[in-house]
Amino acid sequence: MTDLRNVAVVGFAQLPIVAHDAHRMAPEMLYPVVKQALAQCGVERDAIDYQTAGSADYIDGRPFGFVAALDVMGTWPPRQDSHLEMDAAFAAYYAWVRIQAGEADTAMVVGYGKVSEGQPERVFNLELDPYYLAPLGLGPITTAALQASAFMARTGASDGDLAAIAAKRRTAAARNPDAQLREAASAAALQATPWAAEPLRQGYMPPIGESAVCLILAVEGKAEKMCKQPAWIHGVDQRAELQSLGARDLTRSASAKLAAEKALAMAGLKSATEVDVAELLATNPVEELIVREALGLSTTDDAKPVINPSGGPIAGHPVMMTGLIRLGEAFRQLSGTAGAHAVPNAKRALAHAAQGHCLQQNVVYVLGSERRWS
Amino acid sequence: MKRPVAVVGVGQTKHAARRSELNIAGLVREAVDRALLDAGLEHKDIDAVVIGKAPDMLEGVMQPEQFLVGAVGGHLKPVVRIHTAGSVGASTALAGVTHVASGLFDRVLVIAFEKQSEGNAMWALSPNMPFMPPLVAGAGGYFAPYVRGYIARTGAPKHIGPMIAANARANAGRNEYAHLQEPMSVEDVMESPVLWDPIRYLETCPSSDGAIAMVLSSAELAKQGPRNPAWVKGGASYAEAMWIPGRDQVNPHAGRACAKHVYDQAGITDPWNQIDTAEIYVPFAWFEAMWLENLGFRPIGEGWKAVEKGEQKMGAHLPINPSGGVLCTNPIGASGMLRLGEAALQVMGRAGAHQVEGAKTALGHAYGGGAQYFSMWVVSSEL
Repeated sequence: MTDLRNVAVVGFAQLPIVAHDAHRMAPEMLYPVVKQALAQCGVERDAIDYQTAGSADYIDGRPFGFVAALDVMGTWPPRQDSHLEMDAAFAAYYAWVRIQAGEADTAMVVGYGKVSEGQPERVFNLELDPYYLAPLGLGPITTAALQASAFMARTGASDGDLAAIAAKRRTAAARNPDAQLREAASAAALQATPWAAEPLRQGYMPPIGESAVCLILAVEGKAEKMCKQPAWIHGVDQRAELQSLGARDLTRSASAKLAAEKALAMAGLKSATEVDVAELLATNPVEELIVREALGLSTTDDAKPVINPSGGPIAGHPVMMTGLIRLGEAFRQLSGTAGAHAVPNAKRALAHAAQGHCLQQNVVYVLGSERRWS
Repeated sequence: MKRPVAVVGVGQTKHAARRSELNIAGLVREAVDRALLDAGLEHKDIDAVVIGKAPDMLEGVMQPEQFLVGAVGGHLKPVVRIHTAGSVGASTALAGVTHVASGLFDRVLVIAFEKQSEGNAMWALSPNMPFMPPLVAGAGGYFAPYVRGYIARTGAPKHIGPMIAANARANAGRNEYAHLQEPMSVEDVMESPVLWDPIRYLETCPSSDGAIAMVLSSAELAKQGPRNPAWVKGGASYAEAMWIPGRDQVNPHAGRACAKHVYDQAGITDPWNQIDTAEIYVPFAWFEAMWLENLGFRPIGEGWKAVEKGEQKMGAHLPINPSGGVLCTNPIGASGMLRLGEAALQVMGRAGAHQVEGAKTALGHAYGGGAQYFSMWVVSSEL
């Protein structure tokens, strides 16, 4: 393998996730987190070599929505820039590739979007193949329900198993000030909620919310000056797979499995069980079980690592930034800034993000509190 | 860049107002198949895929790269989707360059497309901004005031835009892939109706269906290919904020900064004499004169004089847009990558009937947003 540079997450700021911020447009929500992330690192905007963003025009409800974000990212004088129409976790991946290419030493990655201004089930229907799938009227809840049915048929997972996972995440989220749902919930109560689409109950599904996030990456030599305890990226990989719901085994995530294998190999780890904490982008309990299986993690919660101590997406799912928040949460765990939901003595973390229907595309980061390469 | 990057394959579709015999995946596949064939490679040789297109509203499919994963051979590969407005084709290619330069990927497939016949570009390009009256005037409505600004600053005569448009059409007549190829005279252009003062109908880009793909490669693998590649000597993508007092949309700061960065990488100090041909993003004819200045080819205020002397025609000092450019072919998301791909074909000596004789060094350029996003590369026949 090529010689890689030690790159770390050195700053992360996030607005608490809310169902609807009635008073601010997306760029107005983004501005304070950009300021906050730079302040955490003790630098001005000029110290950042490269900026990138993840957002979607269809969430903004207009073309070129991302252009408005340039102003609050400090894009003057002109900056080296790109924008990905992807979850911002993938923008962070691209920024990392860019730093590996030697084209930047520091990068700012932002995510934003106000999904409350549209109708998510209709908007995300438009992600599907326009000829064969979208006309069926499927949305993210119905495609997830198809996946859940198939998974439960293969594995024998029960409604009660799903309720237990959802309750555990919701209870963890009560300790996370940035989560949208912050009230502990019992499995029995969640199992009593109506179907969102059978076999997924409303209590298992995330509320769609909005937020704004900013994450700073820096290379060895600069990272230490910007952060007391950087979270070093030991390995990262991303993979996509076919969208067509009939062309893949919906009960498994081949792309998450491959991305995890590659990221772990880059990190020099044999197994994901060697990390202390994992933040997974699973928007319902079945997705979580599929991702855990793909990563080679136990599907019972008694083993290492601790899964989604933040509560994860089940307690807050701001689309286009839910993935970057997973990376930000991994940073918080390793840098000692996770507050009430900190996992004691966490030295290694895994952050997973996905986008598309039924976990179509996945990125896996492995991070550590020590540098990876000497 | 950490290591050199080469262009080893270029493939584009026949561009037209409607490629109604193909769906979106079919259109993209036509370009991908041609790029792989050109490089003598197969999908299994590709390590990662970077896809770009302009607003998803143009076709009405959100993040269409997700349903196109199969059509581009992206199954179980890293896939990145870029969107930087009109510059996206160029910034997508440059994201591919970054992937190869990092040392993590040896061959990357970059793709850009737009199938505008599936939607309505005037609607999709008329954003409804908060606190601003919707103009529903498309890109022409946005840019016409800056063309007027250019004319007011320089005193350029009104036939400059029509001369550029007529020359672009003459060039497109030699490009088998171009959308509009019928010749037209300067008088034809001047007699066509004004759409957005001072921009006339025949000074305006068409709305096209089209796609382009390229294979980018490490130097080691490029040298094993069937023919001489184009070498990327410099590349960058810049953006600037929208609402900055004193921002100059006639001669944008980001365009100058991006060009300087790329020229510095490529060792170019005198672009007018060191660059043999340039493919630049000209959606409305007057922008050719404006970019000749912004890119440092001509002094400020003198871009139009080069046009009046015909110095940018085929066979003259610096042929601009030998392919006919955006004025003759505009699948928006693909238009930027078409500029970069055409520049590569020129230095490979493989541009066919629109080849600039002896071209060794070429610039490919695109811009987007409210003249805010700039992305360009310099390619050379020599490593």
